[in-house]
Amino acid sequence: MKKFLKTLIPFDIAKGLSITGTYFAKVFLTANRAKVKQHVVSEYPEVPAPLEPRFRGRVQLILDEAGDPKCVCCNACAKACPTGVITIEGGKKEGRKTRIPTRWDYEMERCVFCGFCVEACSFDAIKLNSQFELAAYDREDFSLGLTGAHNVLEPSPVGKFSYSDEA
Amino acid sequence: MFKHQEMEINMGPQHPSTHGVMRLKLKLDGEVVTECRPMIGYLHRGVEKICENKSFAQGQIWSDRLDYCSAVANNLGWAEACEKLMGITVPRKAQYVRTLLAEFNRLASHLIWLATHALDIGAMTVFLYAFREREDILDINEAYCGSRLTTTAFRIGGIPQELPEGFEQKVRTFLAKFPSCIEEYEGLLNENRIWKKRTIGVGLLSAEDAIALGVTGPVLRGAGVAYDIRKAFPYAAYSEMQFDIPTKPEADTYARYLVRMEEMRQSVRIIQQCMDGLPEGPIMAKIPKLLKSEVNEVYHATEAPKGEIGYYLVGEKGGAAPYRFHVRAPGFMNLQSLPKMVEGSLIADVIASIGTLDVVLGEIDR
Ligand code: SF4
Ligand code: SF4
Repeated sequence: MKKFLKTLIPFDIAKGLSITGTYFAKVFLTANRAKVKQHVVSEYPEVPAPLEPRFRGRVQLILDEAGDPKCVCCNACAKACPTGVITIEGGKKEGRKTRIPTRWDYEMERCVFCGFCVEACSFDAIKLNSQFELAAYDREDFSLGLTGAHNVLEPSPVGKFSYSDEA
Repeated sequence: MFKHQEMEINMGPQHPSTHGVMRLKLKLDGEVVTECRPMIGYLHRGVEKICENKSFAQGQIWSDRLDYCSAVANNLGWAEACEKLMGITVPRKAQYVRTLLAEFNRLASHLIWLATHALDIGAMTVFLYAFREREDILDINEAYCGSRLTTTAFRIGGIPQELPEGFEQKVRTFLAKFPSCIEEYEGLLNENRIWKKRTIGVGLLSAEDAIALGVTGPVLRGAGVAYDIRKAFPYAAYSEMQFDIPTKPEADTYARYLVRMEEMRQSVRIIQQCMDGLPEGPIMAKIPKLLKSEVNEVYHATEAPKGEIGYYLVGEKGGAAPYRFHVRAPGFMNLQSLPKMVEGSLIADVIASIGTLDVVLGEIDR
């Protein structure tokens, strides 16, 4: 008999509805809507995603005061990289004691953004920047070097790669 | 007039509830499953062989990609297995941080399981609520190591960096609110008649069968066997933590659901203790820059959210990479029990049984 009553009166469903209903009430039935409304869903890409300072994005070289890369071509990062996407060749430059990279290739399509390269560098010459909107149509766009519009010295051009492209 | 015959159908590899690319070959007699054979291998990447060609430190990024829902737990296993191989002792603070993050990862993994399992069975709201909390955990991951899913959180010998500023605040806020969230999920599901009809008595797997098939984790504990590696062979800082192992003797899908929910509560307890008792001190052991192994052979098992994840490593003298590497993936062993669970039951119960096993094909196919 008790079981029958339990089946007849949907207590369980009422309980579930009361939980979802609380959220409903919080948002719609309170006088001060704007205050109570909680943003659970972020409005990306209209609102940029907040990133933590340690976020691991794309590889980028750090420059010294003269605007040259700090990198001394010791190849430590290339050896530490688990996917082997860094290729470096060093050369000389007038008035600089250390070597300077003449080639610094970075194949982004195989990078796993692990940060091992940054940890391996003892010259503080490389970082993972905060860019994550890196999708592109062409495979060539993932091969970064020292030259070209898309290179390892500065962030990837906004517009070609990011959603903030208005055009 | 009518011919009675069995029908063979493929479920998957692209089926929304097989959680990845798994194919089930089902033989049906009407609605009843008479034979079930899981076909795996679609996600095979050769992780074991790759790791044999990489250094010990580099190998960790592949452990991220085994079970991508619980990357931190896999990192922990990999780091500890390598440390065992080389005889490295990890500082106490690093142990605590590892435990803390691994437990957060257990929460995240269980939340994904709850969300998808409930969604498969038809409870949409739980999915949304669970992912809301999981987002906070991923934010904590991001604050600590800069990545949300493929964390690469630890290093052999310790942890790569101190906890960031404001980390404790984030953790405490989460801990304050999460128990009420678990109550919310339970309020939606525990007594719900549809949920109970779809889970009670479904996917039965007795304790004997579970042990014989090598099933571990919540599926084994849901059959009433109190086996948890965190208690049986404590690693990281688990020997200093107070927590219970929840078990349920019913051995059905509902029992496993209850076990996992209780496990989440215990995880919250462990995180609380880690945060309160976080010791000071170094975070990295003194290790050589290039890690070399001795002639040795180790098997190290840890309790990942899905069960026992074991790393088997063979080292050669002066080798910078493992000579042989093997992963004992919990999902692989657990999946073996699927035919036992579903044969003789209705085809709709196959969905519930896959969900309750919490399969992630990344670690099954490797
Ligand atoms: S982030 Fe990792 S994969 Fe990418 S370049 Fe650096 S070391 Fe290589
Ligand atoms: S480790 Fe640093 S200094 Fe050495 S090659 Fe790499 S970026 Fe340059």
